[in-house]
Amino acid sequence: MILDVTFWAFAALAVFSGWRVFRADSMVRAAYWLLVSFAAVGVILVLLKAQFLGLILILMMGGEMTIMAVFMVAFMMNPAGLNPMTMVHRNRVAIVAGVVSFLAIAALGLFARFPTAPAPGGVDPTRRLGVELLGDSMLVFQTAGVALLATMIAAIAISSARGRFGDADEGSVEPVQLVVADAGDEPDEEGHR
Amino acid sequence: MSALGVIVAVVSVAAAAAFGAYIAAWVDIVLARAVAGVPVRPLDALIAPVSWGAAVALKARTTTERPDGETWALAPALLAALAAVGLAAAPLAPGLLAADVASGIVLFGAAMALVVVAVFLQGWSPNSPLPMIGGYRFIAEGLSYEIPLAVVLIAAALPARSLAIAPIVVSQENLWNVIRQPLGLPLYLMAALGLAFWGPLALPEGVDLAGGSSLEISGVSRILWRVAQLMVLVAVSAMGAAVFLGGWLGPLLPGAAWMIAKTLVLLVLLIGARHLVARVPTERYVIASWAILIPLSLLDVFIAGIQALVAAR
Amino acid sequence: MTSTLARLASGAPSRCFALAGAGAGDVGPWLRLDPSVAIVDSPRAADVLLVLGRLEGEMLHAAAAVHDAIPPPRGVVVWSPDGWSSRRWPFVDAVTVRDASEIAPACRRLRDDLFRRRLASSPDALPDLDPAPWRGVGPFGQGGAGMTGGVPYGRPLAGRADDRDGLRLDQILVRVGPFLPPFPPGLLLDVRLQGDVIQEATIPAPIADDAGASGREGPSGAPVPHGHPARLAVAADSPFTTALTRPVPIAELELARARHHLAWLAEALRVSGLEAYGLRALKLAFGLDLESAESIDALDRWLRRNVSLRWGTNRVGVVTRAQAEGLPGGPVARASGDDRDARSLDPAYQRLGFEPVVRGGGDALARWRLRVAEARQSVQLAKRSRTSESTPSGVIEDPRGPLSDDVPPSAGLVALLPALLVGMEWGDAVTTVVSLDIGVIDPAVREVTSEGTGP
Repeated sequence: MILDVTFWAFAALAVFSGWRVFRADSMVRAAYWLLVSFAAVGVILVLLKAQFLGLILILMMGGEMTIMAVFMVAFMMNPAGLNPMTMVHRNRVAIVAGVVSFLAIAALGLFARFPTAPAPGGVDPTRRLGVELLGDSMLVFQTAGVALLATMIAAIAISSARGRFGDADEGSVEPVQLVVADAGDEPDEEGHR
Repeated sequence: MSALGVIVAVVSVAAAAAFGAYIAAWVDIVLARAVAGVPVRPLDALIAPVSWGAAVALKARTTTERPDGETWALAPALLAALAAVGLAAAPLAPGLLAADVASGIVLFGAAMALVVVAVFLQGWSPNSPLPMIGGYRFIAEGLSYEIPLAVVLIAAALPARSLAIAPIVVSQENLWNVIRQPLGLPLYLMAALGLAFWGPLALPEGVDLAGGSSLEISGVSRILWRVAQLMVLVAVSAMGAAVFLGGWLGPLLPGAAWMIAKTLVLLVLLIGARHLVARVPTERYVIASWAILIPLSLLDVFIAGIQALVAAR
Repeated sequence: MTSTLARLASGAPSRCFALAGAGAGDVGPWLRLDPSVAIVDSPRAADVLLVLGRLEGEMLHAAAAVHDAIPPPRGVVVWSPDGWSSRRWPFVDAVTVRDASEIAPACRRLRDDLFRRRLASSPDALPDLDPAPWRGVGPFGQGGAGMTGGVPYGRPLAGRADDRDGLRLDQILVRVGPFLPPFPPGLLLDVRLQGDVIQEATIPAPIADDAGASGREGPSGAPVPHGHPARLAVAADSPFTTALTRPVPIAELELARARHHLAWLAEALRVSGLEAYGLRALKLAFGLDLESAESIDALDRWLRRNVSLRWGTNRVGVVTRAQAEGLPGGPVARASGDDRDARSLDPAYQRLGFEPVVRGGGDALARWRLRVAEARQSVQLAKRSRTSESTPSGVIEDPRGPLSDDVPPSAGLVALLPALLVGMEWGDAVTTVVSLDIGVIDPAVREVTSEGTGP
């Protein structure tokens, strides 16, 4: 009984906060409404005994939504929605696409036949999940994960303005400047000549 | 799990967190006086947090121009709730665990990952430049301590072959993790300082930002924010004591007494770091964390893995 | 309930936000030694607004704005060395204090009276109006043309500009000062911030006062002539001002110099997060005497061993040799390799075998180490000098730089800031500004780098 109530409450929260993402004027609020939606789904996963998956979902989404919020603040002119400037493009197309996807996934959820046999008791879901996902290639995935992390860090280190060989704007020349410029040519806002 | 059990667990965790926060405030005052060379008077310092709270509570709450009101109210409550969840994941004694989940480490990790959200919202909501800078800085800092924190906790879970905290404590019966995984506790403590944005890693609230994310708060909000921060300190100390210092294991005294003693040791270490280590420069810290601390944490997990392989033979 | 809280609260130090004006000298830093007063970093955390020294013109207007930011119950305590008062005083019922030793007890009493409702909270000094009217103007009511114009809620739409990685990110224009705590009082900067990186810093022109010429008046009401030392940022009773015209015992001068450097060190340590250790340095400065060289040595050893301090100041805020040669002198120039020191020209110092302390590097760490080394040298000079006196020559080496009737000791340092701070993160910028030790900035002699009228 408590389980059912909890499930329906968090399911309703997930849908409601998902809708609020599109209605919020403030970009930071939109990002965190999405986080609430994901967290509600994570709680539902925990209720389904997939504890590891649910908690990992909340852990990852916390960091990811914050990064999204920072990028929106950094790149958008009106991140808090204090100006009346509309920040959406192709509004109608997006609404239609969103409604169609929602209906399609809801149809999947309602009409697909899910297995009804209960999982055997005493099984460790985390271990079973690991074996199922990674199988015999566990070492490969471990090394690939570390290699990916090292690649990301190295790529940022090399491409940032203070790279391995000194400042990127000392010595290296932008391709644009190799074009012979007429006297009086000034780059416009986008840097084109 | 009965409703009464849930209520008892929630109330006891909240009480422990609040009491721990008070002790942390007292330790901070005592250590500050000791380092400054003024007479310490520890008994007199016991009443100091209450005096401070009373003086702050008498002030009116302020507002700024068009703040984000809901998130501003949410931020301290969220931080306190996350600290309480983190503390609930740490066991007091065998069988005395508020959040007895199979993935206790992941629960702690998830709660601590959301601390970034709470502090960023505290910086974002007042619509003011210096708190906003504090919020940005904390995101950079948070992303930097997150990976070493997660990896050293996983390394500590390896010998126990389980993500739950109680088996991790039991696996330290012969040797504490602080000795067989020497890199673990120092890296964990560095991340813990960042989680509580304390001392050397007090980047969102630094003096150079004139208080940063707590620049604009006043009245009861200021008290709530400070209490929430101290609760995070207590939670990370408790988890560190359980995972690296053997939790309730120890001769003579009951398990709960050992757990509290070890938590206090880590708490004093963390609080003392504020008075002896200067605040880190943001960019240099981010570079050091990604380029040095992450490889060290990976080395830590390799060491733990090799030990597990050898033990399995 | 309130009375219980008030009784409990009387045990806590009274929280004061200190505004230092001209002539305040070092009174502000010494207050940190008093346990009954806590100097806070933000007016929102304060109970009492503490006005030290003289505030004029736009500084007074800024002080009124800071006062209004303090949440009620609030009060104002004023101290000025020469009993100055202004016609344009915006605060009602301010408590005036004559003697510097009475400041802390006055703050304490005022705070207790406010909490026990014996005194009413100080009312707003400025009318609660939008600085740029915007409500109801324009097609959407946000104060400007179209969707993107206007300044709703005081925040213009962020412009975009290139950052150091070539991305086009938002930039905001923020006016910093004049009373931001880690910065010298009176420093106004228009800063373009991208995230926490300063892309541009300029010093705005002073806003003309209705009374003309910043309403400058001395204690007797007569206008103070330009260039008079009383007008400068040095405390009126400082031995260095006296030494401009009369011989002063070298021991007194050098002990004052060591005290100043140690007080600066305490503030710099506080900005680095080591407030408790800064208090230790401040106590040493307060009790400084001829035998303190070993204590300064111990302090120096602790600083040198503290890796975290080095990490925050190494290669930060480098002042090049060329920039240093443009300065009139002082510790900043000496930390960049320039060995000018007005004491080298004084025959009394030459008899003592004085050699100026010089360091290379020019970064914030070099300036830290230089000031501690100079403090130690000063104590040793004071001990060796016995009764010899300085030779008045119109120029004296103040701890911040050469002081004369026309030139303030930290002249030229403020002009360095716009070039120095570009591209720095906020934390590094604050470290740099603190390491320059600029002192109170006199608005009328402020070196302006832009003609803009503000955001």
